[in-house]
Formats: sequence, structure tokens, C-alpha cells
Amino acid sequence: MSSWLAEAAAVFAKDWRSEARTRYALNTLGLFALTTLVLVSVGLGPMGVSAAGAQVLPFLLWIVLLFAAAAGLPRAFVQEEETHTATALRLAARPSTVFWGKLAYALSLTLALEVLVAPLFLAMVQLEVAAPGLFAAGLAAGGFGLAAASTVVAAIIAQARARGTLFAVLSFPILVPLLLLVVEVTRNAVAGEPAGDALRQLLLYDGAVAVAGSMLFPAIWNP
Amino acid sequence: MPPVHLRFTGLARRFGRLAVLRGVGGEVGAGRVLVVTGANGSGKSTLLRCLAGLLAPDAGTIDHREEGDDGPLAAAERRLRVGYVAPDLALYEELTAGENLDFFARLRGVDPARGRVLLARLDLPADRPAGALSSGMRQKLRWAWALLHRPRLLLLDEPFQNLDAAGAAAAGELLAEHLGAGGAAVLAQPTAPTLDPRLAVADRVELAG
Repeated sequence: MSSWLAEAAAVFAKDWRSEARTRYALNTLGLFALTTLVLVSVGLGPMGVSAAGAQVLPFLLWIVLLFAAAAGLPRAFVQEEETHTATALRLAARPSTVFWGKLAYALSLTLALEVLVAPLFLAMVQLEVAAPGLFAAGLAAGGFGLAAASTVVAAIIAQARARGTLFAVLSFPILVPLLLLVVEVTRNAVAGEPAGDALRQLLLYDGAVAVAGSMLFPAIWNP
Repeated sequence: MPPVHLRFTGLARRFGRLAVLRGVGGEVGAGRVLVVTGANGSGKSTLLRCLAGLLAPDAGTIDHREEGDDGPLAAAERRLRVGYVAPDLALYEELTAGENLDFFARLRGVDPARGRVLLARLDLPADRPAGALSSGMRQKLRWAWALLHRPRLLLLDEPFQNLDAAGAAAAGELLAEHLGAGGAAVLAQPTAPTLDPRLAVADRVELAG
């Protein structure tokens, strides 16, 4: 393994080891997701069997995923600053390995969240997916975009004081295009239609956010 | 070229309207210690953070180079080269002392056995969570962390704080070995420390505050 990859893998493994001890992100994401799922299920019932379900439910699924992720993912950098461990990390690791290690951690959390939420959501609202492959591709690409955007924003807000407010303000313009694209892909998957341009644009969005984040990160990380 | 050489001149740093550093300079080479003294708030920690590359000075130059370098190291490279002991440096409380050093050994490409040796030298239990260590034990862990990658330049901000006599002796021994191997150190304390006679003091910088 190259030294760069070993460094990034060490950051990833450390974050999971810390998470296994504190369970902060897992508990936050899991509880938030389950609570909103129950609310949606009780409020809407088996909406998937109605004609409007295929239009509305993909939005709701991604709103659940977005807010659950927003509750837990920003901790990745905030905790390093609050507990003063960021100094040790800055003095021992190259910024790019910190960024990609943290991104890999956020992505693994997001994918775990999707694996928990998506099947439960489909079952609770009785929504059938005509193209499961496209549905899974949308979840994977959307999850990557969500993880990458959250990592970049989390790194920025960790340097600020009003962290909670700032996350919402900075996330909005970055996450809105992602949500519009991923909802379109999910709708197509539910209806059994071709992926169309939305999946291609979603992949471009993912690449753009990851590359831009990687380039900006050294300046954010070392103020 | 000597194993390590550090020269800084005219360093200045402000925080808003408050000028913390004003034209500070100093120099240290292989096998020597530069002692920086000054009252609380005089800028000792700020100076060391600038030298470590953690803080950009508003003015002045930092020329840190080591054997084999063509020129002064950039701040990004200085950060990875120095060993740093400071009160504001914390390790992961949920990980044990051993796990902390293993993690940083992986980041630095160092044999994890080096961390265990340092913990043993400092009489620190490897299996105790960092969050459960006393303040003196945390200071020992900072020493082990700082020496893990065998840095040539040590930046020490009140490095003997909270250490008992045995801990201070063990840390002093490690510092003496570091200098004996051609390393250099900048040591900041409110008053001049009583150093082991083996530790050659190159110079002193008194910060006015």
C-alpha cells in the first residue's frame, strides 16, 4: 500500500474506531432516520399504491436521508477542533489524506444509513421500484454526493463559531442541485424509466464536489 | 550541512488589535536548546505555533532546514517534520495511549514498536484510555507522541508542566538523547528552566509581552 493510501486508510480506521467507542454518529443518524420514517409512515400510510406516490415519495426518501445525514456527518471535523485533536492531526498527516480519509468515513456512514432507511421506507409506504438497479445506483451516487458535500462543509464550519447555523447556510446551495438530481434519478427508477441525463449529471456533480473539495481543503484545514 | 538548523527573524503576529509578537528572532542548531522565556501572554506559545507551521506570522522569516534540504522548508513541510509538545495539543480520549501512538505511527510510516518503547521509557500504561490519564500522564503521552517519528527539531511549550520528578527525569533523558543524536530544541517556559547540565543552551530569547 502506498504511503498516501496508508495515511488515508489510517484516518478512516481511526474515525471508525472512535465511533465504535462513542457511537455518537451511529446513534444520531439511526435515531433521526427511524423517527422520521415512523412519522412518514404514520402520516401517509401506504401511499406507494396511489398514483401520486411515485412522484412524492422519492422526495420524502431523500429528505429523510438528507436530514439524518445532516444531524451526524458534520461531527467529523467539529469534534477534532472541539477536543483539540486537530493540532496533532495537522502535524502528522498531509491534508489530502485527512480529506479523503474523512470522506471515506462519511461515505461509509451514509451508505450504512441508506441500507437501513431505504428498504424500511419502501416497505412502510408500500412503494414498488420498477428498476432496482437504477434505484441502487441513485442511492450510491447520491450518497457519495451527500458525503462529499458534507465533508467539505463540515471542514469549513469546524473553523467557525456559529457551527449549527453555518452548516445549514453553507449546505443549502451545495446540496440543492444534488437533491434535485438524485430525486429525478429515484423517480425514474420507481417508474421504470431510463436513467436519462440526471444520473450523468449526478455523477458529474459528485466528481466536481470531490475534486473541488480536495483542492480547497488544504486552505480550509490550515487557516 | 548540519542535521538541523533553525533561524527566525523579525517575527510578528497580531490577533486583531493585539500585537502578540513584535520582531522576535533567534537561532538554534544541532545538539542545542534555544530557551524562550516570558510572562504569561508574552507570546511564547504563539511563537512556537508559528515555528511549527500551525500559524502564519504577519511578518518575518522562518528558515528551518535539515540535512539534505535544498532550502528553507515550507510551512506544510515544517508541520510534518517537527516534534511538538504543548498544552493545547490533545490526543484521542476514547483511544488508549497505545492506540493513539499506533494511529500516528501509521500516519507517519513509523514502526508502531517505537511507540511502545517510548511509553515504557515514560512509564505510561499503553492500555489505558487517554481520557482516563491524569494531567501528568497526558503530558508524558505528548512527549511520546512528539518523539514518535524521531524529529530533528523539537518545539517544547512548557514541556515539564504537571510532570512529577520521575516523569521530568524521563523526559529530560529523552531530550538529552535527542540532542545527543544531533537534534535541536526550542523550549518555552515562563522562567528559565533548570536544565540537566548535559543539555547545552545555545541562546535565550526573552519575550517582553
